[in-house]
Amino acid sequence: MRCEQAGEMMSAWLDDRLNSTDIAFLEDHMAACGACQAEWCRLQALDYLLASAPMARAPARLRVQVMARLNRREQARRAIIGGTALALGTVALALLALAPVLLGLLDATGIAPALISGGPETLAQLLALLRTLGHTLLVLAEKFVIPLALLGLCSLVIAVVLNSLWIGAVRRLRAA
Amino acid sequence: MTNETEWIRLAREGDQAAFGRLVTAYQAPVYNLAYRMLGNAAEAEEAAQEAFLRAYTHLRSYDLQRPFRSWLLSITSHYCIDRLRRRRITWLPLEDEIAAPARLASDSPNPEAVTVQREQEERIQQLLEALSPTDRAAITLRYWYEYSYEEIAEGLDLTMSAVKSRLYRARRALAEIIEGETDDAL
Repeated sequence: MRCEQAGEMMSAWLDDRLNSTDIAFLEDHMAACGACQAEWCRLQALDYLLASAPMARAPARLRVQVMARLNRREQARRAIIGGTALALGTVALALLALAPVLLGLLDATGIAPALISGGPETLAQLLALLRTLGHTLLVLAEKFVIPLALLGLCSLVIAVVLNSLWIGAVRRLRAA
Repeated sequence: MTNETEWIRLAREGDQAAFGRLVTAYQAPVYNLAYRMLGNAAEAEEAAQEAFLRAYTHLRSYDLQRPFRSWLLSITSHYCIDRLRRRRITWLPLEDEIAAPARLASDSPNPEAVTVQREQEERIQQLLEALSPTDRAAITLRYWYEYSYEEIAEGLDLTMSAVKSRLYRARRALAEIIEGETDDAL
């Protein structure tokens, strides 16, 4: 038996992982090997030192701290969900407010009547309608891109402000 | 259904009070593991909190067939190992760190006994700090939690033979340090 192998067996012996045959082998080796005898003594001393070390005592405030952090995290999560819902709601409202304007524009450019009366009877008609629609959208985008962008920006600003107000309210509630 | 299973079920549904009961039940082993791994009380406290928060977040992925304690200690071990590896990268000079010792479960009212115990405690922590994070976790789980090789392997994602060789390597390294200290003292 090599000393390296004997060392591994000593470690396993400390963990009660050696069978009686291996123990007998190891004892035979140690009886003839001074270095391994010394190592066995060192490992046993270390084993005693570690095995006798007590558990560290958790501070009494640990539970309170965990629950406080958990609570803060849950509140932040709720604020994010609430803020996102508010922002989406604001955008939806802005789109609803824009709907009459967009419909009016479609009507004024003659797209809406064409869509209603034409009908997709034939592929050619459908393609013609799509072409007209695409053209009109391009015209609309050219003429109204700036007002639409501004309106979108305003909606976003309103959403951000409302979101901040919401988070502020949650924080004040938490502080209270 | 045991109390613990019921607390886990309720906590999974978002009942924080039920999770609080789990924290109360397991704060001692989680904190001790963090302390043995990280070596100072303040870091251990922070790590124990983080381990519980991670457990709460991943509670739905917990397999009810597995002991909750093992699952929780596995989360704590992995978190502490990661933290030790990051600490190596953002290494601070030792003199900048204040290694606050933890209170021990067996703190005696006798001041002399407390002093002796503290010295022994500091020695053990110094020894543990000589080990790699994973070896340190293996030794801690073996000695303070009496984990079997199988449990250590499962908790640290190691093979059985890796556990065996890591324990031997760690013990040998620690024994050599102790021998070196004894030689220096003579």
